[in-house]
Amino acid sequence: MVDLSQYLPILIFLGIALALSCLFVFLPMGVSRLTGSHNPTAEKLSEYECGFPAFEDPRSQFDVNFYLIAILFIIFDLEAAFLFPWAVSLDLTGWPGWITMMIFLFELIVGFAYAWKKGALEWE
Amino acid sequence: MLQTIAFYLFATLVVASAVMVIMSRNPVHSVLWLILSFFNAAGLMVLVGAEFIAMLLVIVYVGAVAVLFLFVVMMLDIDFASMRAGFVRNAPLGIAIALVLLAELVLGIGAYRAGALILGTPDGTAAPLLFESNIESIGALLYSRYLFLFESAGIILLVAMIGAIVLTHRERPAAHRRAHQDIGKQVRRNPKEATFNASPEIGKGIDL
Repeated sequence: MVDLSQYLPILIFLGIALALSCLFVFLPMGVSRLTGSHNPTAEKLSEYECGFPAFEDPRSQFDVNFYLIAILFIIFDLEAAFLFPWAVSLDLTGWPGWITMMIFLFELIVGFAYAWKKGALEWE
Repeated sequence: MLQTIAFYLFATLVVASAVMVIMSRNPVHSVLWLILSFFNAAGLMVLVGAEFIAMLLVIVYVGAVAVLFLFVVMMLDIDFASMRAGFVRNAPLGIAIALVLLAELVLGIGAYRAGALILGTPDGTAAPLLFESNIESIGALLYSRYLFLFESAGIILLVAMIGAIVLTHRERPAAHRRAHQDIGKQVRRNPKEATFNASPEIGKGIDL
């Protein structure tokens, strides 16, 4: 069984984050409700000329370039995830482990150079 | 005691949010429930002592894969109401797949109960670690004994990257391309050829 008490700081941070986000959401609502007059009508709640509808289908089509960026992000994210166990176990694996990781990084640098050369990272 | 409470909390939330993934009508809401499910699965992983897996779940699944799911859901122009229309027609196929999954579950639990695995035992206590911590043991094995598999994982990532670029990247025609800054050209600039400030007297011109 795991000693859960070492996760107490994370729990405290989560609690603080939750409390702060609730505060940011509900405090302005409460303050404006208490200080101003509150009698909404359908016209008041509708968006003004330059606004966009507050409620609509969240699915909307957008540029496929976002998808490419997301895929590249996942790949480099995974690469970073492989770095964590490597970094803490380097004294156990020694030089072979170090060279292994350098080859792995080189493989991804090749991909990075390819992406750069193709202009996949450029936003037009 | 605390472990038990935490386990039941996480397990209940995993199952509940997984049910909400398939029950919610809006596919975007489904993805958000899936993210909640991943978070709670990470909590369960922490409870069994696999901190690295928990961290990977949060970083890779919540951070990246869920975003990708959202992209797929938002990009595909599918009318989900019309897809549900063929329920009766596709029901036999669905039931067949469900039966296969059930058989796999039964087989898996049976094999687990038989005690063939030495990694963990059914009561949740894991085999002793090789080194001080979980992540250290993973590193010690992954970068020495399973070195070749690790490098092939790198090759697969490279192939995935190139495949994604080939599939989704399209070259814009040169006319639509934005003017490109050429730093070398700017540095090579000669002051004599550049614009200069002149104040000629009245009635006199300047040599160009």
